[in-house]
Amino acid sequence: MHDNPKNGDFRLRILLAGTGGQGVITAARLLSEYFVRKGDQVLSAQLHGMAQRGGAVQSTVCVNSGISPALPRGGADVVLGCEPVEAARTLPYVSADTVVFINTAPIVPFVLSQNYVLESGSSEYPDLGMLEESLRAATSRVYPLDATKMAQEAGSLKTINVVMLGCLFGAGVVPYPSQDFIDTIMVLAPPNLAETNTAAFRMGVEFAESLNVVEQAS
Amino acid sequence: MSHPVLKDAPGASICMLGNHAIVRGALEAGLQFFSCYPGTPSSEVGDLLARVSKPAGVLFEYSINEKVAVEVAFAASLTGARSMCGMKHLGLNYAGDPISTMPYVGVEGGMVIVSAGDPSAITSPNEQDQRHFSRFLYYPVFDPATPDDAYRMTRYAFDFSEKTRLPVIMRPTTRVCHTSGMVEYGPLPQSRNEIRFTKNPPRYVPIPVNARRMRKELIDRFALAEELLGQSGFFPRRGSGTMGVIASGVGYAYASEILDELGLYDRVSLLKIGAYPIPETILSEFLSSVESVLVVEELTPYVEEIVSLNAFRLGRSIPVYGKNSGHFPVEFEYNPDMVEDAIRKFLQLEPRTIVEVALPELPPRPPVLCSGCPHRTSFYLARKVFGKNTVYVNDIGCYTLGYGEPLHSCDVLLCMGSSISQASGIARTTGKRTVAYIGDSTFFHSGLPPLANAVQANDDITVVILNNYITAMTGFQPSFSAWESQYPDSSNNGQKDRGIVLLDAVKGLGVKEVYSVDPFDEAQTLDAFKKAKSSKGVNVVICNSPCAVHRVRVEPDGKRAPYIIDQEKCNACSLCVRVLGCPGIVVEDGVYFIDASMCDGCDLCAYVCNRDAIHQVEVPEHA
Repeated sequence: MHDNPKNGDFRLRILLAGTGGQGVITAARLLSEYFVRKGDQVLSAQLHGMAQRGGAVQSTVCVNSGISPALPRGGADVVLGCEPVEAARTLPYVSADTVVFINTAPIVPFVLSQNYVLESGSSEYPDLGMLEESLRAATSRVYPLDATKMAQEAGSLKTINVVMLGCLFGAGVVPYPSQDFIDTIMVLAPPNLAETNTAAFRMGVEFAESLNVVEQAS
Repeated sequence: MSHPVLKDAPGASICMLGNHAIVRGALEAGLQFFSCYPGTPSSEVGDLLARVSKPAGVLFEYSINEKVAVEVAFAASLTGARSMCGMKHLGLNYAGDPISTMPYVGVEGGMVIVSAGDPSAITSPNEQDQRHFSRFLYYPVFDPATPDDAYRMTRYAFDFSEKTRLPVIMRPTTRVCHTSGMVEYGPLPQSRNEIRFTKNPPRYVPIPVNARRMRKELIDRFALAEELLGQSGFFPRRGSGTMGVIASGVGYAYASEILDELGLYDRVSLLKIGAYPIPETILSEFLSSVESVLVVEELTPYVEEIVSLNAFRLGRSIPVYGKNSGHFPVEFEYNPDMVEDAIRKFLQLEPRTIVEVALPELPPRPPVLCSGCPHRTSFYLARKVFGKNTVYVNDIGCYTLGYGEPLHSCDVLLCMGSSISQASGIARTTGKRTVAYIGDSTFFHSGLPPLANAVQANDDITVVILNNYITAMTGFQPSFSAWESQYPDSSNNGQKDRGIVLLDAVKGLGVKEVYSVDPFDEAQTLDAFKKAKSSKGVNVVICNSPCAVHRVRVEPDGKRAPYIIDQEKCNACSLCVRVLGCPGIVVEDGVYFIDASMCDGCDLCAYVCNRDAIHQVEVPEHA
């Protein structure tokens, strides 16, 4: 996709989604800092104001993309959905060209344990297959993974966001080697988490590399 | 390691939050004094300055409210200091009295009021357009489209303020405040304004005889402001076409990116409005060169009406499209799709072909009171005593989340500090005891006068002060409420011994019946509510318990052991879920259990359970 990238000669719009506490905003900050260090122009925005514990959070990281802080419909090149329902919520920004990674481990919204009833009459967490299918209606490039399990194996549930970032790099859409990003984690993340973060990141990279995302598209 | 905002690195390209870019702009302009009251989406301005004010040599305070913040900053400016204060849009209204006359008196050191706007009312009870303060009270208002604009405009604004002697308003909206973008640093200042107050009463005292003179001078100074803005570079024009697009704020960011993609600058001319008053020379030149105009601006049709008026004065009968023409809605934020659709309609281009994909029905994740939040306990116990027919008036803070199921503790709400006055009004007309809830920070912000007012009127109200010792909703800024246990960063402005003891304050206002309780001591709290309910006149119950989230952050041993549900005893009656709404209690397939990672160990669910099925996990004694 990018044989010999010069800084600034590619455009990449990444949408991260999850729930409060999953590290969506931290992941966006890491990515932003990474691309800035590479010499790219970065614009990153939080799309929801009230990110209380457990609330829905969306963040964009737009690289070499202009000055608009919000994505147009279908404007995401990559979606990193840290939670299934939150991944599905990004659907308006998904086009036929969008690559979507979904962590399949649900975080059940608190309202569903509190006698809350959806308009459909259901008070159950939506069916995982249905959530994936709704995204597949927009793009064929939907890749589910159990990032929560991988994060656990890496040593901390707090690294779900880093597993998802690994997917981004493993998918071949970032024109820089993934090792570079590990260097950024080493500098910016707490030193005591460096090993765990690296392991989580590598799991994401390996998962996405096995999919041949870019070849499938071309 | 010092914060990147302090870096003396001219030419460095840094990706920074819009609110932080404002701080950098102010530091490069030689900021000397800063005050604020937190409010989303403005809070990060003050929170960053709280961290860097000492090394940056800036006098800093979290003020008790916005009126005080503006007044201290303005007075600092009168001594020559470059001053800034921060607040959200509603805070500017609270400071309405001082800001009305400040332009008359005029500044010495440059003064910038950062008042962040919240289109779509994402974290506010209303949306409003502070740009009107420009014509209403003679304020130059800056309207940044990006973090970089916010940085450059703030840096520019101090010198501009000194030249015109006008205080200025910096009005970023949520999408600018909470967006991180590239900023290219300039140098930090070599010198700063000299501090000196020279007595000159005719200049600083707007008694009528002086005010009338100031009024005339103000018109001249505002005209100078317009002239200077004409040379500021904040009104760039792109393109040479006769289809004019005029855009401000984040609307400009959307419009310029869409026009870039469409590549139509031979047909279109784009004019950016970066500040108000809009220099008439710039606008007239633009309007003379186009045949029709589309205005892209959020909130009110402010620019649109100025454009129409200007075109009329020029004798140009060109159509002006925008909100009045239905190209855009009057209310709420814009988004790129809305702007693209309007631009295509304006340019008579084909509408975009959108592949409609149905969004499945997804459960919402509304904000809730945290597990372990002392407000939940206070609400639950008060309602147990006062019952469902009492009117509960609530106020602005986390405790607004007492609204609706299952706590039903918010029947009326208006603005900061209004709970006590509204309870007075309701109690006086209905003749029924009314309950007001207010947090400690909000009480000090604007609850003191209405409480004194209620005492004078002898209203039958019970004021419940939810004292969590912190301004939690906006990000844990310090409160004025004194805290015995002296958390490292919670006492006001680092002045550990200067907090105010709520009990003393309430008694000092003349309240005779005051109870100071720990809401997690249920018996004591119920007893206080019962006494309060059965007596006459004003009484106050102060519920003292630290914010659960903040306590765990600052106290190494703050985490209490979680509770568990004994499945042998639990009969799935659902009472705990029905009355508490604690996110730590989870129901799966009819089985009730507590998520240990969420549980704060507060004991309320154990207190509520009729079957004694909930117990704290036993932990070994502290070593």
